[in-house]
Amino acid sequence: MNPTTGARLPATLNHLFLFAMMLTMAAVLTTAMVFQYYGGEIPCPLCLLQRVAMFGVCYGVILHFRLGYSARNDGVSMLFALFLLIVSARQTLLDIYPRPGHSYIGNAVLGLHMPVWSVVIAVAILLAFAIKLAVLGGEDLRDLQPPPALGRLARLLCLYVVAICLINLVSVILQCGAGACHTSEYRLLRGL
Amino acid sequence: MMLAVFTTMSLALLAGYYGPRRCAVLLMLACLVLSIGLFLFEIYSPEYGFRMPWLQVQLDALPHIRSRGDHS
Repeated sequence: MNPTTGARLPATLNHLFLFAMMLTMAAVLTTAMVFQYYGGEIPCPLCLLQRVAMFGVCYGVILHFRLGYSARNDGVSMLFALFLLIVSARQTLLDIYPRPGHSYIGNAVLGLHMPVWSVVIAVAILLAFAIKLAVLGGEDLRDLQPPPALGRLARLLCLYVVAICLINLVSVILQCGAGACHTSEYRLLRGL
Repeated sequence: MMLAVFTTMSLALLAGYYGPRRCAVLLMLACLVLSIGLFLFEIYSPEYGFRMPWLQVQLDALPHIRSRGDHS
């Protein structure tokens, strides 16, 4: 029996898990961009930091699909998920008690505003990684490439994530310039 | 500052996909440090510091609870 046969199922499940993770992050970030560009909701600084944290989660997954499995990549993704949790929890607490100048901005989705959704997403990411590591472990996942079709899809998804990060970079340049960000306008489009 | 955060993140993702791993890791660490610094800058208030006084609950603000039969 080939010694890698027993490891093939956990490795494939690991590839599927990480692909689903990145797909979810890409969907969330795309939704945020639709709200921004189509709905006219300019993101606040903490909202932008939450996007950075989600891109950071994707970074670990991109390294996995390019260089192979390493527990370090999972660690980086979990680190950014923790950062997402801290930022979103702080923003939720900041706006949880409405007062002048402070209230949840933007539209609610299913009754929850964006920072509250970010708390849910961060907890779900950490929970998913914890369950994955508990069930699949990490020892048997090395040196096994994803199935060809999944590998191609993953590379396309990686490129999509890089592309939306670059779009966000351009958007930040327009909104903030080299200074502080404000939710009232795109600074560099002022007067157009 | 936000510009620096997104620039390092974009470069880290590009390096993660195309470039050397060491470069990607260094850029990602730089992005994380900048993000944490910006987060602390954003939540700091000259008036409150890092506290959130609007969440504090004062016990003496609670209504007085009388025991049953206490009519005084």
